[in-house]
Amino acid sequence: MSERINFNTVAAAFFIAFAITLFLLIPFHIDKPLIVLVGSQSNLSAELFPQMVASSFLVLGIWFFVKSFSIDQRNELRDLDREAITNVTVTLCIMAGFVLLMVNIGFVLGSAVMIAVMSTYFGNRNYYLTAVVSISIPMALFFLFRRVLLVELPPFPIDIYPLTHWSLI
Amino acid sequence: MFESFVEGVGLALRVDTYLYISVGLFLGMFVGALPGFTTLMAMAILLPVSFFLDPLLGIPFLIGVYKGGIYGGSIPAILVSMPGTGAAVATTFDGPALTKKGKGRKALEMALFASVSGDLTSDIITIAMIGPIAVVALLMGPPELAAVIFLALIVISGTSSGVFVKGLLMLAVGLFFAMVGQDPIGALSRFSFGFTSIESGIPFLPMLIGVFALPEIFIGIERKASKIIKSADLKISGARLTWAEFKSCGRTIARSTMIGTGIGVIPGVGQVVAAFMGYAAAKNASPHPEKFGKGELEGVAAAEAANNAVNGPTLVPLLTLGIPGDNLTVILIGAFIAQGLRPGPLLMEEQGPLVFAILVSMVLANILFLFIGYFCIPLFARIVTIRKSFLLPLTLVFAFAGTWVFRGQPFDLGVLVFFGAFGYIARKLHFDVTPMAMGFILGPILEYSFGQTTVLAQGNMLHYIFVERPITAVIVLGTPVLTYLMWQRSVRLRRELTKGLANENSS
Repeated sequence: MSERINFNTVAAAFFIAFAITLFLLIPFHIDKPLIVLVGSQSNLSAELFPQMVASSFLVLGIWFFVKSFSIDQRNELRDLDREAITNVTVTLCIMAGFVLLMVNIGFVLGSAVMIAVMSTYFGNRNYYLTAVVSISIPMALFFLFRRVLLVELPPFPIDIYPLTHWSLI
Repeated sequence: MFESFVEGVGLALRVDTYLYISVGLFLGMFVGALPGFTTLMAMAILLPVSFFLDPLLGIPFLIGVYKGGIYGGSIPAILVSMPGTGAAVATTFDGPALTKKGKGRKALEMALFASVSGDLTSDIITIAMIGPIAVVALLMGPPELAAVIFLALIVISGTSSGVFVKGLLMLAVGLFFAMVGQDPIGALSRFSFGFTSIESGIPFLPMLIGVFALPEIFIGIERKASKIIKSADLKISGARLTWAEFKSCGRTIARSTMIGTGIGVIPGVGQVVAAFMGYAAAKNASPHPEKFGKGELEGVAAAEAANNAVNGPTLVPLLTLGIPGDNLTVILIGAFIAQGLRPGPLLMEEQGPLVFAILVSMVLANILFLFIGYFCIPLFARIVTIRKSFLLPLTLVFAFAGTWVFRGQPFDLGVLVFFGAFGYIARKLHFDVTPMAMGFILGPILEYSFGQTTVLAQGNMLHYIFVERPITAVIVLGTPVLTYLMWQRSVRLRRELTKGLANENSS
């Protein structure tokens, strides 16, 4: 049986609040045209569609609020235990770190570090295999994208002279 | 239209097209065979690869991933009762029992042959259907297009998993995200809050990969687990399937193919429901229904033919009207847009030969499907033993690489991670992201068509719609009725699916 106020009710309240916020934002965060053509036959201003979407949020939010008391669904976020929360949080941090690594030290090295850290965290203890996988697969991907698809991934941080002069590259 | 078809056949006869389809099929089967990794995830991650290829290479490549993924899920379903994809759940009713009886090889080969038969037949039917529907679609103008898109969005929201109002709210969320950037009519900036990175809108590729692929990774890492299946459990044993055994399932395969084809044309229903309906129909029609669930080859044939027969017809609304019918075709529409092709009524007129070339290549790809599936079954059977501790970070590497090559901007990686977290939370709170993705992609088209309609109406919208555009009037008035009927049907089908699962689990 669902609780009196449950996560769906909270979500509905959020959508209603979002609708009101959207109505308040629309006049200030949508540019106005510099010139308005006289006799323009289109009544479709840039604000109309956002106003329709905001109205939808409001109407649907109210409908959802009323219905939420009869929806029988479990909040699976609350069902997550400590292990799951820790793992998801760690993975999010790893992803954020991967973004920084990829941009600053290149795709291959950044991926190698990420694979090594993540696989070790998630139980792998074969470090030799880790080293092989974490270097070979990003390298293969790097050359696949560069040679076959002709697109660049973030390169090595140091322009390695021998590599850039090999005919394979 | 016939001339376009003939020209398309000529365009489809390229060796490199079939090379890329083969790669797509292989990758699709590879991912499909991995429990916890979905075809949707594979398509989302491989979508950027298609951007840098010719349309006749990139789009068939993704279609190969699609086809291979739907079949690949049957391999672990049969060998170890773990469906690799949702579409293979019905295959677990008889597949593992056949493996226990020492008929694992027969079951795998039946799954392959039934999948290929269903897929091939439905692809041919798709080509036959698409011409007449495209001719009708050409009669549509902006008012009809706006009405059809609106109808499709509402229907998808109603038939997606979960509560109807939650689907509509996610649709509204998608429409909101689509509004960020420039409006499609006057190019005026909306909701960019001064950030130049989103002046041209939220990038759709990182968003698609984020909501469809990353949540699977988050769900996969909730529990630390490496190998969960021993290699010994995956030995494929037994005699091969005989022609007589395949022929005896001919009627079942034909029935399931028709069921899958019919379901494929209806937006929002999908492979899972098709597989269950095909299985249930085969069991009801069988003179020995008591044998189903205990290792009956017909059970495997029915489920697999039905779920693969959905693949081709889902392209009909996509190509003719520009409306994706499910989350897999949302990815495909992304591929078309990236290639500069806008699916819809004008696509067949402007690029008819190309469209037919893609469809013909799909038909011929089934031959490759047969060969690759037949010779690679032992390899795919062992894929399940790959450690999750490596698979998950490697999937992330692919996802990030694909996102980066889209625009080469670090901001896109941030969008990817944001939508990954968003998709995960939405899933845990029972919000389906498919309506959101569709709203995001179709929102600008809907707004533009609506704008054109207001110009044509010259200030008198009601008169224009209800007097001068009767088709639009019928669609607008029919939307609530059709939505209600499809929602009821979807609820009934899901109820039958749940009942079928419960019955099979108890037997």
